[in-house]
Amino acid sequence: MSDAATGGVRGLADRIADYMLDASVLERIVIAVVATALALLIGSIIVAASGYDAVEFVSSLVYGAVGNVSNLAFMLRQSSMLILTGVAVAVAFRAGVFNIGVQGQFVVGGFAATLGILFAAPVLPQSPLSGVVLMAFATVCALVAGGAYAALPGLMKAYADANEVITTIMLNFIASGVVYFLLDAYLRPEGAAAPNTEQFPDYVGLPSVVFESPSFSILGLGVALVTVVVIYLVMDRTGFGYDLVTSGYQEPAAKYSGVDPQRMIVRTMTISGMIAGLAGALFAIMILGYYSDPNTFPTFGFDAIAVSLLAANNPLGVIPAGLLFGGLDAGGQYIGFTLDVPSELVDGVIGLIVLFVAAPELFRAAGQYTSLGGDRE
Amino acid sequence: MSATGTLFDDRRALLGVLGALVAVIALLLFVDLPGSDLVTVGALERALQAATPIALAAIGGLYAEKSGVFNIGLEGFMIFGALIGAAVAWLIAGGGDISQLHLWIAFGAVAVITGVLATLFAVLLIRYEANQIVAGLAVWFIGLGFGPFAATVLWGGVSSPSLPNIDTIAVPVLAEIPVLGRLLFDASPLVLLTIVVTVAAWVVLFRTRYGYWVQAAGENPEALDTAGVDVNRVRYATVIFSGVMAGLGGAVLSIGIGSGFTGTGVTMVDGRGWIAIVAYLFGNYNPLGTYGASLLFGAMDMLQIQLQTIGISLPGSITGLFPYVAVLIVLVGVGYTRVPSAVGESYDTEE
Repeated sequence: MSDAATGGVRGLADRIADYMLDASVLERIVIAVVATALALLIGSIIVAASGYDAVEFVSSLVYGAVGNVSNLAFMLRQSSMLILTGVAVAVAFRAGVFNIGVQGQFVVGGFAATLGILFAAPVLPQSPLSGVVLMAFATVCALVAGGAYAALPGLMKAYADANEVITTIMLNFIASGVVYFLLDAYLRPEGAAAPNTEQFPDYVGLPSVVFESPSFSILGLGVALVTVVVIYLVMDRTGFGYDLVTSGYQEPAAKYSGVDPQRMIVRTMTISGMIAGLAGALFAIMILGYYSDPNTFPTFGFDAIAVSLLAANNPLGVIPAGLLFGGLDAGGQYIGFTLDVPSELVDGVIGLIVLFVAAPELFRAAGQYTSLGGDRE
Repeated sequence: MSATGTLFDDRRALLGVLGALVAVIALLLFVDLPGSDLVTVGALERALQAATPIALAAIGGLYAEKSGVFNIGLEGFMIFGALIGAAVAWLIAGGGDISQLHLWIAFGAVAVITGVLATLFAVLLIRYEANQIVAGLAVWFIGLGFGPFAATVLWGGVSSPSLPNIDTIAVPVLAEIPVLGRLLFDASPLVLLTIVVTVAAWVVLFRTRYGYWVQAAGENPEALDTAGVDVNRVRYATVIFSGVMAGLGGAVLSIGIGSGFTGTGVTMVDGRGWIAIVAYLFGNYNPLGTYGASLLFGAMDMLQIQLQTIGISLPGSITGLFPYVAVLIVLVGVGYTRVPSAVGESYDTEE
């Protein structure tokens, strides 16, 4: 790393390698793996106790995630969403702000993207170029709306001391309720039974590359990965990122070095909400192709909390954690269809993973008890 | 609830809660549109019912936080309580007719089972020093997952069939009192029990030695330790108590006042556990103020019906949001409440 001649990519790889060798990072990886294994074990026991076949449950879970090309595409689609929302959570948690409102910011961002496309489409000619322009415009709408919707609880925390865990959860409920109301009252086409908007023009959408899937494009995964790298670089290489991380871990030090903690909270929340909004735009454009009742949406914004925590709120760690949870999600839906095992079970397993990750002392104690020493399980 | 002023530690909190209540009622009276009043005995009856699950969970959470542990898992324990109540009542009746006795046994089972779950949670928080916010969120996720899962295993769908609930009980003589009689003594016994629990919680917290231990565990654990009281034992007790109370609050929703378990979306608990946290913050950690705040949120929850009766029909998706908006206004308006100083810190005895 001391060699100035090493390129950006090489430097990045070196840094990752350095991180891997760091004992505390290794410990966190061990904790993440053990927590996941333990949660799956408990999940299997519950499956068996409920009268289902536990072995079939686990093998179907794996098959549902990576068993064939279309399952893999579905898993990567879910992973793309979880990586994006996971980074949104990680940015805030890193700065010591518990943004539980990513789901609401995601809903609002997707809605803003939808409005952008539906209102701008009639004024543009019907061409693929218009599609690109519309998607760019929709993304800007989503970034602004998601950022603003997160800035609100940020302001409430910074200037009125309102606990952000609670305000963001309330704003999640409010986002779903208001968006549903607006869809139902104003955007539902004449005579349509379901509260859906009309379809986006067919030139709006990401092209199918590599995978032949109508709702997944490898470009979507690309957007998620690029976002991760950008956020990683911002947090690791810029003064702003340094201030952000020190605000989370060393508030007095950050204050001493001249960081305004109030403004930092608002800025952190805004960035977190912008990423959540971007996830909403991707969801509307790539997955749905229209917009619908947010109460029926997958809870990416909540699962993202688990993703971020499993990654110890490290943006790069969000990638493997997001892939894992995308796999769990895809596998869970698969078992729901094929085994009649309710897919909610996987939500419970995700909850257990979060619970175990929250208590690293549990594993240290277990490690000592089994006299394996240190952080080994 | 008059003449309770001297009972409050903080007069400002009392004024805040009462002021908000009066403001809401006045606002409702002010909107004097053709038709009947918004504030009717029926409306108060519904508000009291809606306040009951919130108040139960809030008083539990209040005790935990007073002792230094932020139990953010109230929402999750409410989901467990709602499910277990419905499931036990259904199972012991063998899928047949559910009697009142079955329902009361189910309440007892909820207390025991959520007590066991809360003990596990307390061990993670206290013995293994888990992050209280993250672990509390995890309880919610686990409830959101395993609640509907268990419902599907039992009933083949995420919701239970329609179940009976606890009958109204009329207390002789007292039920004859105008208004108050109908509200409290000719109503669901759970409403009255919750008020009794509220007063008892106040007495224990501020007038008994055990209550002082709870407060000391949150404010100055070292002093309590020096006095020879095991801080962590006090905290175990309050966390388990908070889980049981939230569980009972959930059971009130499913088999106390409601008609079975609903597992769609974020389940029938629908954020009431989070509202309960705000209720005790708004009540400034005082059980009586907490009940008042719960009543305010309960009234908000029931406003939709009142608006309909006077001819204002807002869509349900909007009126359903009133309690959440009220929570935001309260949190921003009340701002900083004095959190017990040792909240969130695990306590290790020296040596």
